[in-house]
Amino acid sequence: MTAPITAPASARAHRPARGRSFPPLRGLLPLGVLLGIWELTGSEGSPYFPPPSTWARGLNRLWEAGTLRPAIGETLVTFGLALVVATLLGAMLGIVVGALRKADRALGPSLEFARAMPPAAMVPIAALLIGYDEKMKVAVVTFAAIWPVLLNSRAGVRALDPVLLDTARSLHLSWFDTMRKLIAPALLPAVLLGVRVAAPVALVITLLVEILTRVGGLGALIALSQRNFLSGQVFGLILVAGLFSFVVNGLVAVLEGYTFRHRPR
Amino acid sequence: MASPLRSRPELTSVPTSDVTGPAYESHNLSVDLDSSEGARRILTGVDLEVAQGEFVSVLGRSGTGKTTLLRVLGGLLDPTADSTVSFRGEPVEGPPEGAVFVFQNYAASLLPWRTIERNVDLGLEGKVSKPEMRQRTAEALALVGLADRAKDYPWRLSGGMQQRVQLARALAVRPSALLMDEPFGALDAMTKSSLQDELQRVQERTGATIVFVTHDIDEAVYLSDRIVVLEGSPATIGHRIDVDLPRPRHQLATKELPAFLKLRRAVYDTIVDVHGQAGDVA
Repeated sequence: MTAPITAPASARAHRPARGRSFPPLRGLLPLGVLLGIWELTGSEGSPYFPPPSTWARGLNRLWEAGTLRPAIGETLVTFGLALVVATLLGAMLGIVVGALRKADRALGPSLEFARAMPPAAMVPIAALLIGYDEKMKVAVVTFAAIWPVLLNSRAGVRALDPVLLDTARSLHLSWFDTMRKLIAPALLPAVLLGVRVAAPVALVITLLVEILTRVGGLGALIALSQRNFLSGQVFGLILVAGLFSFVVNGLVAVLEGYTFRHRPR
Repeated sequence: MASPLRSRPELTSVPTSDVTGPAYESHNLSVDLDSSEGARRILTGVDLEVAQGEFVSVLGRSGTGKTTLLRVLGGLLDPTADSTVSFRGEPVEGPPEGAVFVFQNYAASLLPWRTIERNVDLGLEGKVSKPEMRQRTAEALALVGLADRAKDYPWRLSGGMQQRVQLARALAVRPSALLMDEPFGALDAMTKSSLQDELQRVQERTGATIVFVTHDIDEAVYLSDRIVVLEGSPATIGHRIDVDLPRPRHQLATKELPAFLKLRRAVYDTIVDVHGQAGDVA
């Protein structure tokens, strides 16, 4: 687990007021200084390093033109849908492959091969088979995001202690209760760890596919802006994508914290 | 820990239980387990009878099939087709109603995402009414001395306490038999002896039949009414030793009795005789 190292509450309360700053804000200080310098020294017309104020203007222009919001929406939908599908499918496949040695033997090599395949290389085939649309985007992103979930679920199943199943049998739990009360909660941390690894991957691939195919979303907007030499707008959109992933990471961490609430901290 | 200074136990013979029909009866019990060279016979021709309320320990070197035997009694493992095993007159096919397993690995058996109380509930959920479940869980926890830890999660408890939780969970279903697989094997000596006394008390109160797998000779002699020793490969019961020490037993007083020392020696000798060395039994 990657719980942040913090002083216990009692120790913190005894600390002098001087030390009571806001770590996240302090952490943002170097970034703020850097952006400030950039703003002051950068030139408005630079095609390479447009100052932050032009980013804001570019984003504002897109917002007023009504293209930014739908683009964010589309990226969000692709990302969210793909992550959900990858989680469900990955967990199911992972559990089957982990539980059945035969399935593992049969599918193992194919899975290893598919896992090693760069998702971006799948785009032409996916576009050919599915078409240049939302479905294709979701398919490619799912393909990229499924592996961490699948492999972690598989490992989770293998790490299950047989004693847990014996316990269920000895206490006469039904199959359904065994799954619901013992197996599912026991596997949840492994699956969530997979999701945690998969979420940033899904976001990267979502943007990549959008940039490659121009089928809607933030990525398409970035590619379009770049092609039109609107550097400020490109930087602004990248900032939005960065904030997006920041939020996603935060959400996954919250989810994990909730699942691990009964574990030692 | 039972305080040695507390009331000296009466060293008079106490009837262990009212024996009616046998709790367990096995005849010609054999077990094959899969190994890399196909099926391998682990146990052969085990004839065992355990009276109701009796405390029987199964001793033997590690790898002789003590746990295998217990798993068969618990219905977690099928013996060969020509074996007969019955629990209270009914053939054992799958875990029998009224016999509960207590595993050595308490950490793997307890659910870390449930509180102590909810762990004990596990065997009762959907089988008894909510108020009855509350009451039985509270009783079981009180019986093992953990009433005040009901709302804690397992990781907050020591190993000995976690094993007590597992015992409470088994007791909550009001079993007539407990099948204990080296339940105290992973615990330190002090915790172990206090749990041994706890178990004695529990058996006294509930009258449960206990089949207890251990490789600790002292523990077996201290707790049991009878000891069976598994030997050979495939293993069978090589020795049966009656332990007629008075009850209740006491960690110091009982263990100082000449009869205790004699029995301890006798059990030790059976194991040393067979193998020429004590192996990892001690």
